[in-house]
Amino acid sequence: MRSIRLFLVASILAALILFNFVAALQGYQSSMREADTLFDNQMLDLARLVSNLDLSNASTRDLRLGNNLAFQIWSESQLLAASHNAPALPLQNFAPGFEYVNFEGYRWRTFTRYEVPLDRWVIVAERTDLRFVLAENVVLQSILPLLLGIPFVGLLIWIIVSHGLRPLQQLSDALRNKGANDLSPILSANSRIELDQVVESINGFIQRLDRVMEREKRFSADAAHELRTPMSALKIQLHNLSEEMDTKHESFQQLQEGVDRMQHLIEQLLSLYRATPEQFINNCETVDLYAITQDQLASSYPYFEVKEQNVELIGSSIEIEADKFALETLISNLLGNANKYTPRDGSIVVSIDDLGDEVCLKVEDNGPGIPEAEKSRVFDRFYRVAGSDGSSRPPGCGLGLTIVSHVADLHQARVEVKDSSFESGSAFCVYFKKKP
Amino acid sequence: MKAVVHSASTSRKNREMKKYLLTPLKTLSAVAVLCFAIAAWAATPEIELIIKDHLFFPAILEIPAGQKVRVRIINQDPTPEEFESFELNREKLVIGNGQTVIFIGPLEPGEYPFFGEFYPKTAQGVVIVK
Amino acid sequence: MFINSVILVLQEIIEAALLISVLLVFTNLFQKSWDKSFVLQTSWVGISIAIGVVGAAMYSYYTPQISEMFDYVGQEIFNASIHLLSLLLVCLFAFLVPSARLAKDVMGRAKFAAFCMTGIVMLAIVREGSEIIQYIGGIAGHEDNFTPVVLGGFIGAGIGVSTGVLLFYGLINLSVNWSFRISVGLLSLIAGNMGSQAVLLLTQADWLPFTPIAWNSSSALPENSIAGHLMYALVGYEATPSILQVSIYLLGIVLIVISPLFRKSWPLQHSLVGET
Repeated sequence: MRSIRLFLVASILAALILFNFVAALQGYQSSMREADTLFDNQMLDLARLVSNLDLSNASTRDLRLGNNLAFQIWSESQLLAASHNAPALPLQNFAPGFEYVNFEGYRWRTFTRYEVPLDRWVIVAERTDLRFVLAENVVLQSILPLLLGIPFVGLLIWIIVSHGLRPLQQLSDALRNKGANDLSPILSANSRIELDQVVESINGFIQRLDRVMEREKRFSADAAHELRTPMSALKIQLHNLSEEMDTKHESFQQLQEGVDRMQHLIEQLLSLYRATPEQFINNCETVDLYAITQDQLASSYPYFEVKEQNVELIGSSIEIEADKFALETLISNLLGNANKYTPRDGSIVVSIDDLGDEVCLKVEDNGPGIPEAEKSRVFDRFYRVAGSDGSSRPPGCGLGLTIVSHVADLHQARVEVKDSSFESGSAFCVYFKKKP
Repeated sequence: MKAVVHSASTSRKNREMKKYLLTPLKTLSAVAVLCFAIAAWAATPEIELIIKDHLFFPAILEIPAGQKVRVRIINQDPTPEEFESFELNREKLVIGNGQTVIFIGPLEPGEYPFFGEFYPKTAQGVVIVK
Repeated sequence: MFINSVILVLQEIIEAALLISVLLVFTNLFQKSWDKSFVLQTSWVGISIAIGVVGAAMYSYYTPQISEMFDYVGQEIFNASIHLLSLLLVCLFAFLVPSARLAKDVMGRAKFAAFCMTGIVMLAIVREGSEIIQYIGGIAGHEDNFTPVVLGGFIGAGIGVSTGVLLFYGLINLSVNWSFRISVGLLSLIAGNMGSQAVLLLTQADWLPFTPIAWNSSSALPENSIAGHLMYALVGYEATPSILQVSIYLLGIVLIVISPLFRKSWPLQHSLVGET
C-alpha cells in the first residue's frame, strides 16, 4: 500500500533539499574562490611593500608580522631580511609566482617576486590553514539557516499536503460512515475540481442502485400482495370442492398441501418486505424479550407436539428496544426452523442470556446441523440446506432465515450460526443491543 | 626534504617472523599469487611517510619506475587521517597515533599527487616516479 | 573543512542510499506483481539500518586492532571481505529468489529475499558508516572544526538521502516492466562495483598481483571533479582502473545478466513481467 501523502511529502522535501544544498555548495565554492583571489591579491600587495623596504634601517629589518604571515628578502644567495618565523633557508626556488611549501609544522602559500631595480628576491608566505578560516566561517553563517530550516519546511510541507488531501479524506470518511442501507447521495459541500468527477460518479452509482433495489422491493411486495386475493379465492374454491367431492383422493391431499405452502410463502414474503426502517422507527418500543419468546413458544407448541420434540426455555425477564411485531416474526421463524430441521423426539433449547451490554437469544437443537461451508449461505433468500441424506428436505420456502436476518438488521442486532451444545445440531444466536 | 628509497634489510627479519604467523586463510589465498609474491616479497623496498601536524613528511616521495613499493604510513597526530590519491588509486585510513602499510606501483614515470582526505588543505604530497 | 566533510559524507551516504533505493524498488515490485501472496514487508530496511549502525560503531571501535592485523593490511582484508560477502548475497538474491524451486514456497521466498536484502544493506552501512564515524569522531572533536564538519556532514547526508528518495520514487512511478529492468540494471552495476572494489583493496594489500591499468580517463573525467564523484557513487567510476578490476567488474555484470532475475525482467517470450 503506497501513501499519496508520504510520496508527496518525501519527494517534495527531497527535491527541495537537493536543490538548496547543491546551490549552497555552489555558493560556498564561488565564495571561496573569491576569497582565494582576495588573499592572493593581499599577498601581492605585501610582497610589493616588503620588496621596497629600506633595509638600512635596523628596525625595519626586524619587522614582526602576525603568526600567519612570513617573508624573506634574498639578494643572490644572501638573506637580507626575514620575519621572525621564517627559516634560514630559501622558502622556495627563485621562480616568480605562487607556490606551496611546508615549514614550521604548517603548510604555507608562497608568493615569490623579483624586484628588478633593487636586484632582490622577495618571498612572502601565508599559512593555508588560517587563510580560509575567516572566509569559511562567514560563508557557513549563510548556509546554516538552510539546514536549520529543513525541519520547519518539512513540517510545513506535511501540513500543506495533509490539508490538500483533506477533501479526499472527507470523501472516504463519508463513504465509510454510510450505513449498509443508506443509499442517499454523498454531499460534497466543499467540492474540488479534482474530486467532482469521483463524487458525481459515485452518486450516479448510488442512485441507480437505489432505484434498482426500490423496484425489486416494490415488485416483490406488490406481487405478494396481489397474489393474496387469488390465493384466498383458491382456498375457498378448494374448501367448496372438498364439500362436494371425495377428499380421500391422494391428488386432492397434495393439492391442498401445495396451496397451503404457497399461502405460507406469500405471507413470509409480505412479512419480509413489511418490516422497513421507517416503520421500525415508528413502532419501536420497550418489550420484554422473555415474555414474547414465551408467547411464541406457546403458540407454536402444537408443531412441537406433533413431532414429539422436547422444548425448553431458559432465562428470565429482560427488556430491549424492539418492534414487537417484527420481533415476533423473528422468533417464530427461528422456532419454526428448529422444529422443521429437528427430527422426531429431538430436543430444542431456547435461552435468553444477559451478556452485559448485549442480550443473546439462542435457539439450539440436536438436529443434523449445518455443514461449515453452508453456514454463510443460510441467510440468502430461497436458500435451503439439504438434509443429511440429500433427499429428505423438510418443506419450506427458504425465506425464514432471510426474514430473521432482515429483522435483526433493523434492530442493529447480529445473527450468528454456531454448532449447538448438543452432540449435533446448530445454534442460532441473535445478539440484541441492551436497552441503555 | 626528499626521501630516497632505502633497502628494507633491517625490517626483513621482522617480516620473516610475521610470515610464519599468517593465518591459514591468507596462506590459502597467497598460494594463488605465490609466483608473484615470492619474487616480489623480498625485493619490495619500503618507504616511511610520517604524518605530523596534518602534514606529510616527506612531502615528496621519489620512487623508481616499474618498482612496487611498500609505504609505511606513520601517523604521529592524535587524530585519524586518510591517505588518498586519485592518481595512485589508493585510499587508506590511518588511525591517530597509529601506523599502516600500503603498496603502490609498479608505476610509469610521472607525478602522482596524494593528500590526506581529512585535512586536505595542509596534508598534501606527491610521489615522483623516475 | 566544510567541503571535505560534504564530499566524504556524501560519498558514503549516496552509495548506501542508492543501494537501499534499488532494493526497496524490488520490494515494491514483488508486492505489486510477483505473487499476490508474496507479502514482503518494508520493515527489513529499518532492521538492517539499525544493525548496520551498531555494526559500524563496533567496526570503528575495533579499527585500531583490525588495521594491525595481517601485517597492517587488516582494513583492506576486512573491507574486501565485506564487499565479497555483499556480492555473494546479491548473487544469491538474483539467482535463488526468482527460481522455480522457491516459487512453490511463497513464504520461504519472501523470507529469503528479505534476508538477502537485509544482509546487503547491513554490510554496506557497516562499511560506509564506520568511515563516517571515524571521520566525524576524529575531526569534530577539535572545537574549531566542529561547526564546519557537522554542517558539512548534514549537507552531504541531505544530498545523498534526497537523491536516494528521488531515485526510489522515480523508479516506482515507472511502468512495472521498466522499473524492474532499470533496477536489475542498477543491481548489475552494484555487483560489478562490489567486485572491483574488493580487487582494488586486495591489490593495495598486496594479496593480489599488480595488473597494468586498463585505461586513463583522468583528463576526460577527473575523479576529483563533481561529475567524477557522482559517477564514482553511481557506477564506481575510476579514472585509472587496473585490468583485473575491470575484468571483475564485467564478471559482476555478467553474473547478474545470466541470473534468472535478469531473464525475468527481459522475458524471451512475450509475456508480462511478474507472472510466475
